[in-house]
Amino acid sequence: MSKSDYDVIVVGTGAGGGMAIKCLCDAGLKVCALDAGRRLDPTKDFRHHRQPYDMPFRGMGDPKTRAQSYGYMDNEYVAGVWEHEIGYSSAAGTDWQWPRCFNVGGKTNFWGRSSARMGDIDFKAATLDGYDVDWPVSYAEIDPYYSRVENLIGVASTVQNRPSNPDGHYLPPINLRCFDHILASSATRLGIPYLPDRIAQLTVPHNGRPACHYCGNCTSGCDVGAFFSTPWVFLPSSEKTGNLELRQHALAKNILVDADGQAKGVLYVDRITHQEVEVHARVVVVAASCVESAHILLNSTSPHWPTGIANSSGQLGRNLCDHLYGNAGKGYLPQLFGQPIYPDSVSSSTIVWMPRWQNLDNPHQERFIRGYSVYPEGGSVDFPVEYDQIEGFGLEYKHEIKRRHPAPVHFTLQAPSLRSEKNYVDIDPEKRDVYGIPMVRVHFEWDENALLMWEHAKQSCEAIIRGAKGEYLGAGDAPETPGYSLHETGTARMGNDRDKFVTNRFGQTHDVHNLYLCDASVFPYCTDKTTTLSILAFTMRTCDYMIENFRTGVHQRV
Amino acid sequence: MAGQGTQRRDILKMLAYASAAAHFPGFSRWAYGGTGHMEHPSSNTAIRPGSYSPQFLNPAQYALLALLTDIILPPENNSGDMRSAGAVQAGVPEFIDFMLVHDPAIQYPFRTGLTWIEARSSELYQKPFLALSEDQRAKLLRPLAYSSEFKPGQEDGRAFFKLLRKYTVIGFYTSRTGMEQLGSPGLKFYAESPGCPHPDDPEHNHLPVPLT
Repeated sequence: MSKSDYDVIVVGTGAGGGMAIKCLCDAGLKVCALDAGRRLDPTKDFRHHRQPYDMPFRGMGDPKTRAQSYGYMDNEYVAGVWEHEIGYSSAAGTDWQWPRCFNVGGKTNFWGRSSARMGDIDFKAATLDGYDVDWPVSYAEIDPYYSRVENLIGVASTVQNRPSNPDGHYLPPINLRCFDHILASSATRLGIPYLPDRIAQLTVPHNGRPACHYCGNCTSGCDVGAFFSTPWVFLPSSEKTGNLELRQHALAKNILVDADGQAKGVLYVDRITHQEVEVHARVVVVAASCVESAHILLNSTSPHWPTGIANSSGQLGRNLCDHLYGNAGKGYLPQLFGQPIYPDSVSSSTIVWMPRWQNLDNPHQERFIRGYSVYPEGGSVDFPVEYDQIEGFGLEYKHEIKRRHPAPVHFTLQAPSLRSEKNYVDIDPEKRDVYGIPMVRVHFEWDENALLMWEHAKQSCEAIIRGAKGEYLGAGDAPETPGYSLHETGTARMGNDRDKFVTNRFGQTHDVHNLYLCDASVFPYCTDKTTTLSILAFTMRTCDYMIENFRTGVHQRV
Repeated sequence: MAGQGTQRRDILKMLAYASAAAHFPGFSRWAYGGTGHMEHPSSNTAIRPGSYSPQFLNPAQYALLALLTDIILPPENNSGDMRSAGAVQAGVPEFIDFMLVHDPAIQYPFRTGLTWIEARSSELYQKPFLALSEDQRAKLLRPLAYSSEFKPGQEDGRAFFKLLRKYTVIGFYTSRTGMEQLGSPGLKFYAESPGCPHPDDPEHNHLPVPLT
């Protein structure tokens, strides 16, 4: 075995990478973490405590970068933070939006914080409805990891006793707003749950971190660490152990292998010097996010691994799933016309959710299988978003904007795509990025099942608005572009059969025993729940397994 | 990404249609103070003297633009108090001119749209729009603003009015006075999540009489 400088290299510092860094440093292992971006400075990079008129572009951003913006999160409040230098490719017929945050902490700096546990209804979905495969993990096995994660990061919610959404350990919930009470009454009459979301945001001080101050601009970063992000929650304590070396501007290019085809390190491009640098370790953890992790592994070709490292199954890059997002309905609640303005957007967030209520008793009750969740929002926010619904001009128009300002409501659908042969990533045979690295190419289209959920959700949301005596204003014409949700899963699925899956049930690749994946690439498919909490829990479990392998000598220390 | 604040997301998406560049002289107007909002250390909130010279429009076009924005979002009264400001006092014409400088996609529609208004004014009253009475201005604009009064043949005028109103609304409600007039909570800090003040009336059937 070649000389190693570190016990473990961790590629990526987002949810999975950050958790791996924490667990491994705490266990006394020497860790080298690579991140393709820089460490953000909350005082300079987060402008979340500014008003629109405090910024040259009122929050919208420079038009030169606006043209290539990734959308709503990539704006003037966080200018210069999202990745625009490194390109990716989309196959013909694929419209894929891939917002990447190549910075220390990754997207945990700006994430949505919705943190529901998955349950056996998710892990054993194939047993229930006959489609695809089960996860190689039961809820009983992952439950203690969810608990540890929740206690570590702090999640606010309530105990809800629903079969599809196992309860966890929660801080007090964020309070419901006027429109929530009105919509909840209507939804409940329709048999649809309308409940506090599980949100990784502190409603009370927790583990030395302060409670939220409800400035309402979380997706532009937090200056006090009141919601979970790895730079606030994991990195300081990891650095204190003395076991962490964090290398910034280090764009991982490929995994290095020894004469036996096992991992011996990582080759990265230093984005400051443009030099290629080798770093060696006994174990490599790839946690660069689903698509990027597959990209790195597919680019790691060698005589041992002609189609990419750990790809003897041929499944590397396959089975890409994503959440279909879309405006499933919007309207006004006239009860609130002319009422005083309350601060309804204090957490820039879905304070509430409508967790999966479909196909619970019978997996084939609906025309689609599985299920979706919906995030309602509304009320008075910083801008009269529905100004265009009102005709006219003059004082009458101005006063009508104000009168209606407390009353809009809006539903966002989160529907999982099913695993499909058509959805995968590979390496573009021609295109290379600015560092000469072959680009990843995405092939993706929505499946019929997800589109049936979209139709079902629109009907449900219209019924809720009308049932609340609301004015229904319609739904979005089409779902958001794939990739918009940032919830990609698959590409290196875990499973017990090495011929069909890239990693085993612990995220260790079947082919390369010292190569692990710690992000949603190992998830067999997506569900109606978000990915981050599960990335954290599964990574913690993978690290327990890896640390045990170090203890028993499967992996040697340096 | 669930919970990324759909409303804020929509706002930014909407605002993204209009975009601009640095060092805008009209900033002194946008940032004019009022009361109620958290005070900011930002130098942009300081009131700066000096009048604005349009960067994109010529003086005649700019005067017409200013008048139109104030017709769309007028001051509440004639007090001149920033707390009741209309579009002009809130710096909306400067904002739109600034957007025009930096966003080629809206330059042609605005130029031709302003010309359309002047041409219509000549056609109806043989006078420039600025010289019309309030009543005449409203008569010209109402068919563009109300679908029930629309007259075929005025499609271009209607499209321009929609664009102009959009930029006027964005400019006004991202200004300090605009946000305050809306009663927008804006950026404030709370010790606890505020929540609904009448949770014992979940259907909200017994709310106080609405503001007028």
